Amino acid sequence: MSELDHWHPVLLSRELSRSKPRAVTVAGRTLAVFRTTHGVAALDDACPHRGFPLHRGTVEHDALVCPYHGWRWSPDGRGVSPGNPRSKPCATAYECVERHGAVWLRRAGADTAFPYLDVGGHTPVGTAHTRVDAPIEVVLDNFIEVEHTGDVHTFLGYERARMAEVESETTVADDSVRVWNRGPQRPLPSPARRAFGIPREALFVDDWTTRFSPVHSVYEQYFVDARTGERAGDALRIAVFFTPVDDRRTDLAVFAYTQVDRSERPLVEALRLPAVMAFVRWEVSRDAKLLAHMADAPISLRHRALGRFDRALVASRKLLDRIYRGRTDAKLRVVE
Amino acid sequence: MHSDTRVIVLGAGPAGLATAGALRQRGLDCDVLERSDAVGSSWRNHYERLHLHTVKRFSTLPGHPWPSHVPTYPARAEVVQYLEDYATRFAIRPRFGVTVEHIARDGDRWRVRTDQGETRAREVVVATGYNRVPVEPAWPDRERFLGTVMHSRAYRHGRDWRGRDALVVGAGNSGAEIALDLWECGARVSLCVRSPVHVVPRDVLGLPAQVNSLFVMSRLPPRVADRLSLAMLDRVVGDLRPWGIARPAIGPVSQVLENKQIPLIDVGTVALIKQGKIAVVPGIERYTDGGVRCVDGRDVKADVVVLATGYRAGLAAFFDDPARYVDDRGDPRHHGPDGGGEGLHFLGYRNPLTGALHDIAREATAIADTIARRA
Repeated sequence: MSELDHWHPVLLSRELSRSKPRAVTVAGRTLAVFRTTHGVAALDDACPHRGFPLHRGTVEHDALVCPYHGWRWSPDGRGVSPGNPRSKPCATAYECVERHGAVWLRRAGADTAFPYLDVGGHTPVGTAHTRVDAPIEVVLDNFIEVEHTGDVHTFLGYERARMAEVESETTVADDSVRVWNRGPQRPLPSPARRAFGIPREALFVDDWTTRFSPVHSVYEQYFVDARTGERAGDALRIAVFFTPVDDRRTDLAVFAYTQVDRSERPLVEALRLPAVMAFVRWEVSRDAKLLAHMADAPISLRHRALGRFDRALVASRKLLDRIYRGRTDAKLRVVE
Repeated sequence: MHSDTRVIVLGAGPAGLATAGALRQRGLDCDVLERSDAVGSSWRNHYERLHLHTVKRFSTLPGHPWPSHVPTYPARAEVVQYLEDYATRFAIRPRFGVTVEHIARDGDRWRVRTDQGETRAREVVVATGYNRVPVEPAWPDRERFLGTVMHSRAYRHGRDWRGRDALVVGAGNSGAEIALDLWECGARVSLCVRSPVHVVPRDVLGLPAQVNSLFVMSRLPPRVADRLSLAMLDRVVGDLRPWGIARPAIGPVSQVLENKQIPLIDVGTVALIKQGKIAVVPGIERYTDGGVRCVDGRDVKADVVVLATGYRAGLAAFFDDPARYVDDRGDPRHHGPDGGGEGLHFLGYRNPLTGALHDIAREATAIADTIARRA
């Protein structure tokens, strides 16, 4: 088992046009992704013939044509060379599918499960795709603790001054790490509060589970009225996928959903849901900007002064190495 | 006080609970008899990823709205919780583990025989569910097949079938979603579509199919509604014949009214079929060692065959003269208040485009009103 055995969301659907292939890099390997009449397809980017980057080619009759010598490559990797009609060249093809508004791929022949987002009853809010200039471990660390939200985030999360009041519980299972946090919601301007039905005295609950095939966290974020103890206001369910581009860069694919029934107030929601997505994008971009300063920080957590919010980090590093990278040896690189 | 024998409700699923709740809101008591050991037993046992196919605000039982934190389409566990809350709110305490065996007219009352004895009541509400009896087609050479055969009612999730070949038979809602689930779990999946079927996306441009049915289609003459919905389906679904799914000659709205057959409400399976992830195969001729042989002669490999071939209400077995109460399919001839004659009511055996729970809530209210008038 290695990285590409897992399904990765490599592009949002809107990022891949009908005619123009795109290059994506996953775990150091660059692929050319393109559309055919039957769906989406991906091949190793280097043309097997002379290594020309295939993503600069064009799609003709459901095949990717290399612009250098005109060799044609089918979605399953079978090639045709116009000048060598009897040869049967072969390119490495990947299994591709378009789901949840994104293009996903994995190594052909792998039998890993497709990640289950548990959003079958939810309303889609939007998707986002962000490059972060830091290794996957460092990026994941940031997304599985709430202590940073006081300083990095504007809307969601907890104030630094009241961070000590935030309760946090970490549950480690065989293939997942769950973190549940509850604490006082930071003060928001009252129009924003009202627009999302957040009570004046609210507790914010951020409850997520991280899984590792592929590496992703699904966040359940909601408010509780501090006076009644009842849930109130909007709830968000956000799935964030962490795809290593190479050892120093990570791509985030974000899929946001809400419990709100859009058909109940179509006009209001047509304005409100894009605003929610803008908030989500803003918060993720703050994470990305900050994490860029961590690009050269040592990955290892050894000798770090870890706090109570960091319990999930160590457990997640182990599962990432074991499940995502398929390292079975006892010596795990990242925890060492 | 004769309330304990005045009204008997058979079944503690959504239909039985809705009736008991509507009666309670009119100050009337009833005895609820339930075969299993909990309310909503069907919903407890459905496959894990199932959601209600209708939106929650048009799927409320009488007198109890859904909590605001539940999403648009409630998940299976949320439906179970809702039914439990409903029973608690209206103090509905069913007698569990009681199986109904026989119903007969007895003077001015109805006599109900169960495996625990006999009771008599003026009013009997039959709400045993559309799915009491699973339908399992039998193809030849079953004994040759070395894999697993299960009815969809036994299917929970596809995690055991990762890397294996799976065949799902039946292009109803459960068949289509189980095929999707198996694919997500890493199985190689074929879906057996035995006859033409209309495919309707659950949402079109953010508008739920149910809302469209409630406010547009059900208010138009069926012929107009058929043409309108076909024009819409042409645009959003397109012609599925290249993938092996043909459209019935009759329109989707008329099909429900005339044949009681609901379209396939798609939650993502069709997109996988169009991308070649789920293969569609025609009807089955017989089992083989490693799968099945289809009617067109092709062999399909399978380690597991899931029969998503539906259910029957199985009401005929309750009556001495079933033809009087029940049609050929085993559904009630007349739904709703006094559908089986004065004091015998049938509820929860229909699945209209406007939503089964929506229909149940309306009919339960009507039945409770009828009973209250005679009280």
